[in-house]
Amino acid sequence: MKITRKMAFGTAAGVAAALSLAACSSSAGTTDGSSAGATDAAAADPVKMCVLVADVTSSEALSFRDYYTDYIAGNFPVEFVYSDELADAEAEKTAMEGFIANNCEAVISFASADRPTQLDMAEDAGIYYAVATGALSEEEYETFKDYEYYVGAIGPDAMTEYQAGYDMVKHFTAEGDTEFGIFGGGVPYYLEMHIYRAAGMLAALAEDPTTSYGGATEMGDILGKIYQDGTIKIADFESDVYTLSGYLETWDFDAAWQASMADMIAAGPDAILAVGTGNAILGAAVDGTGIQIGDIDAYTEDNLVAMENGTLGFLAGKFTSINGPIFAATLSAVQGEPYRTAEGSAFALSQGYWEATTAEEFQEIVDADNVDAPVYDVDALSPFVASGASYDEFADFVSKYTFADLVG
Amino acid sequence: MGSFMRRATGTLIIPVGVFAVVWALAAIDGASLFSSSDSLMILARTTAVTMLTTMALAINLNSGRFDFSLGAMALASSTIGATIAINVGGGFPAMAAVTLAAGALLGAFSGLLYVTLRISPLVSSLGVTLLFEGLAFTITGGGNISFTQYPELVAFGKNLTALVIVIVLALVGVYTVFDRSRFGSDYRALITGQHAAVSAGVKEKGNAIATYAVSGGLMGVVGLIQASGKGLIEAGSINFSTIGIMFTAFLPMFVGGYIGRYSNDKLGYLLGALSMSVIGLGYSALRLTSAQQSLITAFLLVAFLIFLSNEERAKHWWRRARLGNRPPSGPAAPPRETAGVGASA
Repeated sequence: MKITRKMAFGTAAGVAAALSLAACSSSAGTTDGSSAGATDAAAADPVKMCVLVADVTSSEALSFRDYYTDYIAGNFPVEFVYSDELADAEAEKTAMEGFIANNCEAVISFASADRPTQLDMAEDAGIYYAVATGALSEEEYETFKDYEYYVGAIGPDAMTEYQAGYDMVKHFTAEGDTEFGIFGGGVPYYLEMHIYRAAGMLAALAEDPTTSYGGATEMGDILGKIYQDGTIKIADFESDVYTLSGYLETWDFDAAWQASMADMIAAGPDAILAVGTGNAILGAAVDGTGIQIGDIDAYTEDNLVAMENGTLGFLAGKFTSINGPIFAATLSAVQGEPYRTAEGSAFALSQGYWEATTAEEFQEIVDADNVDAPVYDVDALSPFVASGASYDEFADFVSKYTFADLVG
Repeated sequence: MGSFMRRATGTLIIPVGVFAVVWALAAIDGASLFSSSDSLMILARTTAVTMLTTMALAINLNSGRFDFSLGAMALASSTIGATIAINVGGGFPAMAAVTLAAGALLGAFSGLLYVTLRISPLVSSLGVTLLFEGLAFTITGGGNISFTQYPELVAFGKNLTALVIVIVLALVGVYTVFDRSRFGSDYRALITGQHAAVSAGVKEKGNAIATYAVSGGLMGVVGLIQASGKGLIEAGSINFSTIGIMFTAFLPMFVGGYIGRYSNDKLGYLLGALSMSVIGLGYSALRLTSAQQSLITAFLLVAFLIFLSNEERAKHWWRRARLGNRPPSGPAAPPRETAGVGASA
């Protein structure tokens, strides 16, 4: 067969594309027991555990992934296979089909566009399914709690998200700040965690007797108004003490978005309260203005620098190894010891954030929990992997998640 | 003089009309289009990004080459430039030079792939999009690049003068290359009659690759402005997530095409981009929600396309309305005058 130039280029392009895609697709997250630091346990016949992710770029997502693929896979008999970034329910379904076809024994899901479909597919395929850093809604939990292969969920529930927004405002008001801007992120997309965080912020401000949001002062009423409007209307904020001088939402970066951001910064608030990704999105813009950012994000190097230079005034963040317990429960289920509540249902356990308001606190947290030396290390998790622990013992273990509990 | 007035009116009616309408709406609402000291800078930045993207899209689309990889080229080139500037040094000049060169090289690669494989440019550009997104992802390991620790790299994106200079240089450069050079003559000859042009000695493959390279260079500048303006490169964007930027260029491109009938399409792209940026400032001044903004932008695009598709019919109606409203004064209107109305409509 004659090899033409066209064939050569085509082959080269195909190989290049395959190599490039391989670097960023599911196989990129695959690791096995041969990782550095592997133990005898890790070298045993590994359990194929597949991970659905909606975010592959944030520092938080990367640190979660490193914890699983570098630390956990090196110390437990498990092989992780990661999905690509899943933008919507259809992508989640396709990824689940791929996992099932590839004989995954369990799925840990960080993707929440359509959890009911994920749960149904896992149940039908007979593979264990767990929700990480999140929770099912009450209605969903009632529907799926008795599925045989549903392991459970561990993560910030809606009230934890609300509390994070509430704590942020309480920190700044305690500092004497009275004028705020709000970055609402995914509020118009009805992203539940962002709505609850924003509601927590507004509710904390509304504890002042002269303050209300659209006449609402209680959590339920504030949530109801945000859900009804699909946005936050600063014109509806009334207070003799506090001022909401700007509001920004989504991540469009177009002319309107940039103008709204400029207006919010030009108004000169004491702080901008961000429901998430605040420093990443607004950090460069507020640098040097004296405006502080309150953020709910992750303990990253960029956020540490921002806290050191005073741009970041408050951070509520998930710690690196927060997904250790859900991994332990999932592996335990695969190995024949699933945790079930007293009623025989899948569990729904809550874990919250670690909060830092100074660079020293931030550094303490980073030193105490990282991929090389996580708080949920092999010694902490092993007693809960098919070792005869009861559900109550596991629930008690999960509930002690604060910095004081885990680090002392 | 009449011809000049007609050309000037046709060139300016859309940007001036848009500005007047948006300014009036904001004023009625008690708001200002230029409410902050950064408003002009934002106007220049978004105009630059939209104009450059529109030019990058149009120079290939005019030749029937649909290119989905524009956003991926901006992403990959800025990722390469920023990575080198951060890890090797050289500050913003190094980042700018490397980003621009990388954009041109990526564009040339895309063009080379297209002319070599001879597959549909639409299909080819989809593959190239994934390839470039994967390249940026691989360079950063899937993470974003934040400039929080490198303030010298974000100054450019906040400098009004620098952004205006970029707009002027890009406009003059693209105009010169495509309207005032031998390369541009060949490019236009290939658009109007490919077989005849090739028979006359025009090198169609080289012209296509060079056009892709210019398109890549323009998107390199877009990547540079965006990275510097945001202070962030979302280098983990994969699975066609960079395609969206192309769609911001369609309305300015159609507007530019319309204006081009009266003056020059490159100037039209600038005025179309400026119009869209003014509309963006209006959205902000009127405090419209993101959902309302999306709806209005989509409506404007559809309305303009309907207008373009029915332009002759609209002219016919306009002529009939004018003739119908004319008071009867003696014999029928002279044919010369009727022809004049048609010509100026």
